[in-house]
Amino acid sequence: MLNEITVTINGDEHHLGVRQNETLQDVLRLRLGLTGTKKGCEVGVCGSCTVLLDGEPVNSCLVLAASLTGKEVTTIEGLAEGGRLHPLQASFLHHGAVQCGYCTPGMLLSAKALIDRNPDPTEEEILSAFGGNLCRCTGYVKIVEAVQGYREFLDPEECPPCPPPDEESPYPVVGRSVIRKDAPDRVTGRAVYTGDLSLPGMLYGKILTSTIAHAKITKLDVSRAEAFPGVKAVITAKDVSNVIYGVSPARYDEMIFATDKVRYIGDEIAAVAAIDEATAQAALELIEVEYEELPAVFNVADATAEGAPVLHEKYPTNINVVVDQNFGDVEAGFAEADAVVSRSFTGNRTYQAPIEPHASLARWEADGRLTLWSSTQTPHYMHYMMARVLEVPMAQIRIIKPAVGGGFGGKAETTPLDFCSSYLAKVTGRPVMMKYARNEMFMHNRGRHRQEIELKIGVRKDGSITAVKQTVHLDGGAYTSFGIITTYYAGSMVPTLYKLPNYKYQGYRVYTNLPACGAFRGHGCPHPRFAFETLLSEAAEAIGMDDFDIRQKNAMTPNTSTVNELSILSCEFPATLAQARQASGWDKKKGHLPKGRGIGVGCGGFVSGAGYPIYRSRFPHSNAVIRVLEDGHAATLHIAAAEIGQGSDTVLTQIAAEEMGVPYETILMADCDSDISPIDLGSYSSRVTLMGGNAVKMAASRVKDQLFEIAGRRLGVPPTGLMAMEGRIFVAERPEVGMDWAEAARIAFSEAGPLVGTGFYEPPRLGGSYKGAAVGTSPAYSFGTIVMEVAVDLETGKVKVLDCTDFHDSGQIVNPTTAHGQVHGAIVMSIGETLMEEVLFTEDGQVRNPNLHEYLIPTAMDTPRISSGFVDSYEPRGPFGAKELGEGATLPIMGALGNAIYDATGVRITELPITPEKILRGLKEQA
Amino acid sequence: MRLEDFQFHAPGKLAEATHLLSVLEGTARVVAGGTDLLADMKQGRLGAAHVVSIAGIPELRGIEDRENVLRIGPLETPNRIAASDAVLRRIRGLADAAGVMAGYQVRNLATIGGNLASAVPSGDLPPALLVAGAVVELTAHDGIRTVSLADFFLGPRKTGLGPDEILTAVIVPHLPAGSGVAYEKFQLRDASALAVVGVAARLTIADGVIATARLAVGAAAPTPVLIPEVAELLEGKPPGAEVFAAAARIASEEVKPISDLRGSAAYRRDLVRVLAGRALTRAEGRCRNEEVPSC
Repeated sequence: MLNEITVTINGDEHHLGVRQNETLQDVLRLRLGLTGTKKGCEVGVCGSCTVLLDGEPVNSCLVLAASLTGKEVTTIEGLAEGGRLHPLQASFLHHGAVQCGYCTPGMLLSAKALIDRNPDPTEEEILSAFGGNLCRCTGYVKIVEAVQGYREFLDPEECPPCPPPDEESPYPVVGRSVIRKDAPDRVTGRAVYTGDLSLPGMLYGKILTSTIAHAKITKLDVSRAEAFPGVKAVITAKDVSNVIYGVSPARYDEMIFATDKVRYIGDEIAAVAAIDEATAQAALELIEVEYEELPAVFNVADATAEGAPVLHEKYPTNINVVVDQNFGDVEAGFAEADAVVSRSFTGNRTYQAPIEPHASLARWEADGRLTLWSSTQTPHYMHYMMARVLEVPMAQIRIIKPAVGGGFGGKAETTPLDFCSSYLAKVTGRPVMMKYARNEMFMHNRGRHRQEIELKIGVRKDGSITAVKQTVHLDGGAYTSFGIITTYYAGSMVPTLYKLPNYKYQGYRVYTNLPACGAFRGHGCPHPRFAFETLLSEAAEAIGMDDFDIRQKNAMTPNTSTVNELSILSCEFPATLAQARQASGWDKKKGHLPKGRGIGVGCGGFVSGAGYPIYRSRFPHSNAVIRVLEDGHAATLHIAAAEIGQGSDTVLTQIAAEEMGVPYETILMADCDSDISPIDLGSYSSRVTLMGGNAVKMAASRVKDQLFEIAGRRLGVPPTGLMAMEGRIFVAERPEVGMDWAEAARIAFSEAGPLVGTGFYEPPRLGGSYKGAAVGTSPAYSFGTIVMEVAVDLETGKVKVLDCTDFHDSGQIVNPTTAHGQVHGAIVMSIGETLMEEVLFTEDGQVRNPNLHEYLIPTAMDTPRISSGFVDSYEPRGPFGAKELGEGATLPIMGALGNAIYDATGVRITELPITPEKILRGLKEQA
Repeated sequence: MRLEDFQFHAPGKLAEATHLLSVLEGTARVVAGGTDLLADMKQGRLGAAHVVSIAGIPELRGIEDRENVLRIGPLETPNRIAASDAVLRRIRGLADAAGVMAGYQVRNLATIGGNLASAVPSGDLPPALLVAGAVVELTAHDGIRTVSLADFFLGPRKTGLGPDEILTAVIVPHLPAGSGVAYEKFQLRDASALAVVGVAARLTIADGVIATARLAVGAAAPTPVLIPEVAELLEGKPPGAEVFAAAARIASEEVKPISDLRGSAAYRRDLVRVLAGRALTRAEGRCRNEEVPSC
């Protein structure tokens, strides 16, 4: 039975018949197409579905539509009036408060209600108003600044103030805080994410997963589900490809559906397509599965014990990756040391928890091609893997990446959603949409590996490091995923920060009956870096040296080959140390803070893109096409790089504009669509600015070369003497002699047809010749230092992070506002991982906290004051000197925070996360 | 995630609602803000053939400062309670609690009636109401009864609310002059988190001596509970750090916490002791109209 309601939405009265169990969220999204109201958790925690109900912000997922008669609802689509942005929307744009944009509509509506009831809120009131709006990208800093600054945008007639010029940049476009390309759509609710799409005749799919951690399937009967009204198809292993897939070709070990047995709670068994999501979900419960339960293992020790049950026959010890690397002579190094410190550390299994859940939409076209829309951060690898598993040529598949609401590594794999939607669409002949609910995201997981680390460092009295030995056991879960690379990275990145004369690393990745772990921001490195930064500070203490002095003593320098043969060109690590030390007031504070207050330093850095692709491929890593529009006043940039919130579309268009010599606004970003834009390997290993940027720069330069030919002819000068800047081509030595850029482009088109430039980037051959030498190679490395100050409640153990002072060497910064936003987000995410985040399991392998109210990520209220800065740096291998930032910025935090907590309490917690309970236990033991 | 189908009823009058409940004979769930019920139903923890919304019943709203009592309608939201002058004047600790519940949007939707009727052991509002001696008014189609809040909670998510009853008011007796109530919450992040432990304290001080002391704890027993031993220890004594510490110790011994995701039983006992001391100190300040800053 339907309930008739009359409700005003964005000023329009709607008469609707709604189902009894329909939420306001579903009415807005599914009935009215107002998909600016997002869906992130469905139980009132994430806040991405926030709308105003009679002017007050509420979670639309918790409001029954049947109760809405007489109410007024405002959604993000109703915030701008008469096509004019609300001052808050303008302020969000100008302050860089938008990254992936998935939380943005909810944030804006919470902010709107706040300024309506209090036009001049204090910082504390702003933070409190956002306590129910989770964001995983921004660290909240710029969102708060945007609310604080909204008054500057009150007068709609006045041109909104431009962001402050960044005076240090030697370039007109690069180094400027231009407004993100994608931000206007994100503040107005127009950005379309995969889960927002709707196609005529679209069905919804759901996947049935195992309820037992390790079992043989003895019976699988889908007949009742098939007969359920509204169900259009049910598929199991016999209906799909039996090609084994995964991430690294050497360890492909996954199949679309379990055939012989299931290996974790969440292993896929069957999938259903039905007329709506609820029907598909209901049908899953009608599928009969009988299991013969097998013994299971849930940790490294049990999985590697004698006689442990085996997950994959090919790996009878359950150890599926072994790394043994030895550089120099560690034992001799330790013998030379004046002090040797060692400790065990345990990293936590954390989850990326992007606010946008994974979604996939598949449609088979009339010509037999598959179109797949997916929330992916690696569209090319998905393309490759879909073709491989479906056993069709890549050309028969079209991959489209709509807006993506954060990834952090969790959307770097082809998921069962992508395979199942494609098969269900094929079987039914209709488009099929599939999404993970929040708990399913946690079950699929692919989060950070839990690492058990043994670390030993030897130092001389002068602080110089003589030897480092590290052994790591990684709990990998039931499949390999990115695990080979993770295991290598856990060791290979240790020698990039400090000069280590002798280094030994042993890594073991172990299968357990838990969801598979994968790549998560900083891939494999944060836990070893936490261990190293902690133990290095202990070594300093042992020899009576300052934390900064020992770091400066060993710090990497430019043009160095590390002990494991990684080639480092630019390196301003010492400058980041010096500036963080000075700006934080370290020397005044360290050792002088009262009990309960502490200060700590940590450092870290990362690759600017992996030196080698995941599968053996001859394609350049990044490829770009720039097509100038006929009148010369715009150009489209085609590159299938993956904007997932980090700002890469903006950075790439800035690079194109800079090189071509046109204003930023001239460059338009073409869709990330494999039919339209050429391959880029995607957003992982912090690679897009350097690699995508180099490809774009080459394409832009080839456009420019063609115009210089024309302009040279026109102006009667050799093309080599020309320059282009801000839409004008001119003689470098006589700038008054020149012509309009667009005019040159029009001539080019008239004479020879489309004006196009193509570019590509392939990293140089890098690295040593030992086994695993490829992992850790990169054209360039970032470096950073952070000082963190904390207050610890000595009675409860609760940590309040007060201040962070961060300096990063990221080469030439392309867009300072988005760069600072990356640092803020990295800091707050890492604070979460250090202090509160951990995926926990029951004794039988079930996730205990598969939601955002029990798996806690930081809220606006948990955000410290952050000061972020960049040191002068130029990377010769990067476009305009740029290198990575997004992942490297996470690496210094864990160590710094652990060191600050130690300084405040005298308690060393070596098992992450550093919870209040652990700190209190430590304080009690101390007493 | 799926909301099972149910029959939705939205009576406009209390009498209609109670009549409906009597007819539906235990197959219905009452919904007010829906923040607990819908989340529980979506996660498969609860089901119901009928859902009766009381959100449209005007007489269930309002905060009335009457002659001897504060009467709070069950539909009042945490945000309205936290900002209510009457609440701030009469039972400031309830405003503390309402202001730190969940996130801002949930505080607009959730209701005091729902927070009590859900009887989640970690609920933020019960401890402050318990220490003030609040009673709840329960209305069925054939009569009204009042039950002290202390007797209302029977177990985790279990109350004395009959299947045909609606919680129609929360009645807080006025505390004598010289009284103060404070609520302390420990959570693992600073917003949108359940209490690991929540402690409310109420003191009435006359002539330099504690006339009445009440301490209630959330998330450290199957229900929010009063700790009577604290009253026994404190009443008749002058307030002070030492007696508060002793009371806090007793509280930590008397609670029956469990170990879960948010903390072990032992840690919860530690937290009860710390928060009890802080809540007593702040309540004591409020007896003198002084605000001791929360830690």
